[in-house]
Amino acid sequence: MALPKRIIKETERLMAEPVPGIKAIPHEDNLRYFDVEVHGPSQSPYENGIFKLELFLPDDYPMTPPKIRFLTRIYHPNIDKLGRICLDVLKSNWSPALQIRTILLSIQALLGAPNPDDPLANDVAQRWKEDEPAAIQTAREWTRMYAVSENR
Amino acid sequence: MSADASVGALSERTGFDAYRDARAIIRLIQCSRCSYPLRVPVTLPCGNTICRMCLPRSHVRAGISYPANQERQEGFTCPFSDCTKEHSLADSNPDVVLGKVLELIGEEVAKCKTESSEKPMLLEEQAVVHPSMASSGLQFDRPRSRVLHGGRLLATYTFAEMGELAFNSDVIYKPLYDDEDGGLALDMMLLDRLKEVVRNEFDCQVCYALMLNPVTTPCGHTFCRRCLTRVLDHSLLCPLCRRSLSISPALTNEPNNERICRILATICPEHLASRTETVTREEQGALGESQVPLFVCTLSFPSMPTFLHIFEPRYRLMIRRTLETRTRTFGMVSYNRTREPQGNLGTVEFREYGTLLRIINAQMLPDGRSLIETVGVSRFKVKDWSILDGYVVGSIDRYDDISLVEEERIEAAETDPARRSNANGSSSPTAQLDHLSTRDLLDIGMNFIRRMRDNSAPWLHQRVLEAYGYPPEDPALFPYWFASVLPISEHEKYKLLPTRSVRERLKITARWVRRAESQRWYSGTCTVL
Repeated sequence: MALPKRIIKETERLMAEPVPGIKAIPHEDNLRYFDVEVHGPSQSPYENGIFKLELFLPDDYPMTPPKIRFLTRIYHPNIDKLGRICLDVLKSNWSPALQIRTILLSIQALLGAPNPDDPLANDVAQRWKEDEPAAIQTAREWTRMYAVSENR
Repeated sequence: MSADASVGALSERTGFDAYRDARAIIRLIQCSRCSYPLRVPVTLPCGNTICRMCLPRSHVRAGISYPANQERQEGFTCPFSDCTKEHSLADSNPDVVLGKVLELIGEEVAKCKTESSEKPMLLEEQAVVHPSMASSGLQFDRPRSRVLHGGRLLATYTFAEMGELAFNSDVIYKPLYDDEDGGLALDMMLLDRLKEVVRNEFDCQVCYALMLNPVTTPCGHTFCRRCLTRVLDHSLLCPLCRRSLSISPALTNEPNNERICRILATICPEHLASRTETVTREEQGALGESQVPLFVCTLSFPSMPTFLHIFEPRYRLMIRRTLETRTRTFGMVSYNRTREPQGNLGTVEFREYGTLLRIINAQMLPDGRSLIETVGVSRFKVKDWSILDGYVVGSIDRYDDISLVEEERIEAAETDPARRSNANGSSSPTAQLDHLSTRDLLDIGMNFIRRMRDNSAPWLHQRVLEAYGYPPEDPALFPYWFASVLPISEHEKYKLLPTRSVRERLKITARWVRRAESQRWYSGTCTVL
C-alpha cells in the first residue's frame, strides 16, 4: 500500500531539518518504523545519555498517535521497565496536528521534567517522591550504565 | 452586499495573468464590506470572510437557553446576502490561515515598494454601480484616480490599501512612463514572490498537502473537509487549539471557506486539479477496480438484509466513502474466531468467503455514528488484502453458483435410482439426503419452518419475519433466509458461503433440520432460543 503523503513529507522534513538532540530514521523496508535516538537534556540526570527508542506509525496515523517505546533502559517515574511511556499526548491528548518531531520533543522534555505524580513505574515514582536526590542519583547511574556509548 | 460572488470573476478563465488580472487578484484579498485588504479576517460559519472590525454590531440573541454559555449569547445578523442568518459571536473568530496570508502579503508588498523602480501609472477607478453599495464602508461620490508606482499589481494593492478602490470597482491603467511591457515583468515577479511566501500556509495541518475543500472551524482553523471529518470521527476537539467544536461531525452544514477556495483556484489551479484527482482516485477506485473495502464483522448472505450500527472511527470513514461511490457496496466478511487458515490467505483475522453488501438506507446520527441497512448482493472470495486508513481492503473474485445445466446434471446423477438402491443399506440418514431430489431437500426446510411456526417457535417471531421476510420460494435463496433466522452457530452457517450449487446448500440446510429434529429444542416447548 502506498505511504500517505503526510508520512513522506514528515520523514523528508525530519531528514532535511533535524532537531538538535533527536534522530529519527525510518527502516528501509518499513517506512512506518523508525529508529529513534533522543539525547538526554542537559542539567537533567539523563545528560550525556543517548536513548534509543522505537517508533511505529499505525495504519490510521495521524488519526491515532504513533506507538513509541524506549529500548534503552531508563530510570524515570513515567517510563516503565518495558520502555512504555506515560505521556498524555501519546494517548488521550493526541491530535493529528502533532507530529513525530513534536512528540519526540515532548519525550525529551519529559526527561527534563519527570512527573512522579502521574507515575507509570510506581516504584520509581515512590522513590522519587520519598528521596529525590537518591532517585536522581540512580537515574544518573542508569544513564551511565545503559545510555552512554562507551559502555554499550 | 453581494457576498463574495464577484470575487470569482476570474476563476472561469483557464489560467490567469499577473498583468491582465491584476485587479481580480487584488480583489481576492479585499474585504467586500470595507474594501481594504482584509484586516484580521474572520471566516463566518456561512463560509464568507470579512474583517473583524467589519462585523455588524452584536446583539443579545433571543430565545437561546442552551448552551447557557455567555460567549454564545451574543450574535449578529450575517451581512452577506447569501446567508443573512444570525451567527454567534463565539463562532466568529479570526481566520488563522487568511490572517497569516494577508500579513505575509503585506510584508512582501512593503519590501517591493521600497525596491521597485519609479514607474508611475495612473489608476482610474471604474465604479460598478451596485444597489447594496450604500452599506459599504467607502464613500462613492465619484470614481477616484491616483498616480501610483510599481507594476499594476503593486499599484492596485496600494490603491486598495489607501481605501480608495471599492471592492466591486474595476480599474483602468494608464502608464505614465515609456516602457514596452507596461510593468508586466514587475507584476510577474511580484506575483511569483507572493505565491512563494504564502504557499506553505495553504497546507492542511492534518494531511500536509494543499487544502482541498477547506473548511474553517468556529475557532478559526482550516483543514481539508475530508481531513476534518476524519478527525471528528475520533474526537470533537480542534486538532490545533483543542477547543471543543460546535459543529456536527459529518460537516453537513459547514460550507467551504469561500475565500481560500477562490484564492487557491486562482494561484494554483493545476496543483489543485491534480490534488483533486489524486484524492478521488484514492477514495474510490483507488485501489483498482477489483479492490473493495472489507468490513470484518458478521455473516451476511445474498439477498438478505444486514443491519449495522457504525461507531468505530475507521468504519465511519469506510461507510462514508462507500456512500460516495456509485454502487454503494462494500464487502462483509466474518471474524475468524478460530484462526483457521483461510486458503491462500493463510491465517487471517477474517474468513475468506464473504458477501458484497449494498447500502440501501443510511441514517447519519449527529455525533457521527450511523445506522445502516444493507442487502446482500453477491458472494465473493478474497484473493488478497491490505489495510487502508485502518480498515481492510481486498481484491476479490465474485463467487457464483455453477450453471443450471451443471446443477441439473448433478441432481440427475445423485438421484439416479440405480445408485440409490446401491447405497441404501449402508448409509447413515444424513448420507441418504444426498439422494433426495433438490425439490425434496427444499421441502424438508420448508416443512420444518411451517411446523415451527405452528409451534410458535420464538426464533420465528413476527418481528423476525418482518426484518427478513417470509421464507423465499426460490430454492437458491431459501438457505440464505434459513441461515439468517435459524439460531445455530455462525461456524455452521458459514458453510453456505463457499457452496457452488443450490443443491449443495439445500443439503446443508436439510442436515440442519435433521439435526434439530434429533434434538429436543426444535419442539417449540423450549423457549431458551
